[in-house]
Amino acid sequence: MRRWLIALVLLTSAVVYAQAHLPARDMRIAWDRGAPKVSFSAKDLADERVRRELSGGLRKRLVVHVSSHFKGSNHALAHRTFGCAVTRDLWEDGYLVRIGTKSMRFKTVEQVLDHCLVVEGLFVGEPKNYERNKGKDIYFFVRAEFNPISQKQCRELIRPSGGSDAVGPITVSIVRRRICQAERDIEFRSEFLKVPQ
Amino acid sequence: MSRFERKILFAIGISVFLALGGAVFLARGALREVYSVGVNERFGTELVHGVEARRGQLLALRSSTEQAADAVQWAVEAEMARQRGSQRITPMLQELLERYVFVRGIRVTTVDDAVIASVSRPVDPRAEPMRVTTRDRTASAGERRVHIAVEVAVPEVYFERLQEAGAAADVYSRLQRRSASVSDVYVWVFGVLVFLVIVVAFLIGAILSRRVTKRVAALAEASRKVGAGDLSVSLPSSATDEITELTEAFNDMVRDLRDSRTRIAYLQRIGAWQDFARRLAHEIKNPLTPIQLAAQEMDETYDGGDEDYQRKLQSARAIIEEEVATLRRLVGEFSAFAKLPEADLAPADLGEVVHAIETSVPAMLEDVGRGTPVPVEVEVSPATESIRVRMDPMMLKRGLDNLVRNAIQAVHETQPDGGGRVFVRAYKARNSAFVEVRDNGVGVAEEDWDRVFDPYYTTRPEGTGLGLAIVKKVVLEHGGEVRVDRAPEGGARFCIELPLLESR
Repeated sequence: MRRWLIALVLLTSAVVYAQAHLPARDMRIAWDRGAPKVSFSAKDLADERVRRELSGGLRKRLVVHVSSHFKGSNHALAHRTFGCAVTRDLWEDGYLVRIGTKSMRFKTVEQVLDHCLVVEGLFVGEPKNYERNKGKDIYFFVRAEFNPISQKQCRELIRPSGGSDAVGPITVSIVRRRICQAERDIEFRSEFLKVPQ
Repeated sequence: MSRFERKILFAIGISVFLALGGAVFLARGALREVYSVGVNERFGTELVHGVEARRGQLLALRSSTEQAADAVQWAVEAEMARQRGSQRITPMLQELLERYVFVRGIRVTTVDDAVIASVSRPVDPRAEPMRVTTRDRTASAGERRVHIAVEVAVPEVYFERLQEAGAAADVYSRLQRRSASVSDVYVWVFGVLVFLVIVVAFLIGAILSRRVTKRVAALAEASRKVGAGDLSVSLPSSATDEITELTEAFNDMVRDLRDSRTRIAYLQRIGAWQDFARRLAHEIKNPLTPIQLAAQEMDETYDGGDEDYQRKLQSARAIIEEEVATLRRLVGEFSAFAKLPEADLAPADLGEVVHAIETSVPAMLEDVGRGTPVPVEVEVSPATESIRVRMDPMMLKRGLDNLVRNAIQAVHETQPDGGGRVFVRAYKARNSAFVEVRDNGVGVAEEDWDRVFDPYYTTRPEGTGLGLAIVKKVVLEHGGEVRVDRAPEGGARFCIELPLLESR
């Protein structure tokens, strides 16, 4: 029992420490019928290299994860992911941006970044995620990633050999996680706020 | 956990974990080498070159379509400059369509979108998917301006292949950048799996070694008990290995110790009884002669006339003489028991002793019948082979005489009119020599089987209880055992077991 308590204290301390050291950024949060709508910009993800790669003609992904958490906890109350597949069209000038099943065309990379990394009024969760936590301190965590390889593509490209050994499948699943992670990412959080009564 | 067990487990642990360390070390080097061969910079560079080539191909195609559109524009402008009508433009467009394979159709319209001329290729619905784009141009000649739409098409697969090549090059370059990390993952996974296998092997080894160490610990514990005087210890020995041999040797040793202790205790007890018998014989024997002489003298020297008194004296003399005779016989037996010598062992054939018994049977029958042979049939079966044992033939014969005599007496008491039978035989079995004396009398009650060999224990009114004690003493001095149980004929069976000479 004592060991469990010590482990719990250590874990909580680690979480609080990690949250305190996560850069806080000004994010606009509006509550609409009990659910938060967040607005923020993660355009600083796109440094010079990212912009160059976006213009290279190969399909690249920009993914933004937004999640809400209690203060001092890693447990997510709600989670939302927003992703763009960006391809510079070598046949015609411009950029083809695919979000889910929708496709859009943009003339410049700046327009693409504005569309994919500047989030306006994104609902994070539903009212039911917050209604039991009114008055509690929460924060929103944002992780923006450049070109994480999708799980599907990763599975297709990094496959274990057909052997019956146990080493291959386990290793490949670990390697996949390492190799297919984003080439660049940024993380930040909102200031702490209370769930409105 | 015993120290021995800890040492065994330590040895197993050292062996298996050294193997693990060696395997991981070698696997690390081998995997890095293999990985650097498979995922190397040159392949990565070639993949990137491939992507660039595909991109260049697409850009070149795009340039070609732009040039084709330009060519169409110039041709239309030239025709317009010659003031020719649309009927002359159409064949020229058709010719351009034939020349540029990427051009799928050309449409010339006025600024008001009225069609001046239009040509196109037939579209095959079964053909591969194409990306179709329109290159727009404007041609002018003087005041006249027309709009030209050149529809160009390239296979969609060109674009898909570029993306696929890009994705593969991307993953490859990541694998290359993280080559050390990836090979380390392989080593770690390999190490962890081997570790798990080793843990299982270690557990199995521990379980198997515990079976050995447990038995060694049991031997140690049993040895401590034996050291403390507990000779009832016996260890199970079911396996077939050196520990089992050790266990069996230990059990044999304890059994021998137990037998020796029992034998020594019995012989010490017999020795004490012999001492007692010697003193008793001496104390009783000395006054017997004066008592007898005094009685005789009283009877013989009476010269009174009282006949009644004379008869009383004669009767008393007869009683005294009879009791003195009985006491003399007892004293004789006590004396014989007290003077029983120790066996002087030498190799001899047991069959000869049994044969000697056969010759003394008539005398025994007569002796039991006090001069008249009793009607008891004694059957002595000679041994079919030589049974060599270390023995004192005279002492052993004396012991066997006692057994046969006891048997004759027993069957005669129950069957005085005949029908009593006694069987004597010698044989070899299980590395031992046996002499068996059995009868068809009433036998010995099972509760008396352990007591019949005690000195002075007897169930017969005239017995001294020394005969079987002598037998046991003689047999023990021969390193053997004597037992009694029930004979198949219903009477008693006495069995003497002696160690064979060749089994020593």
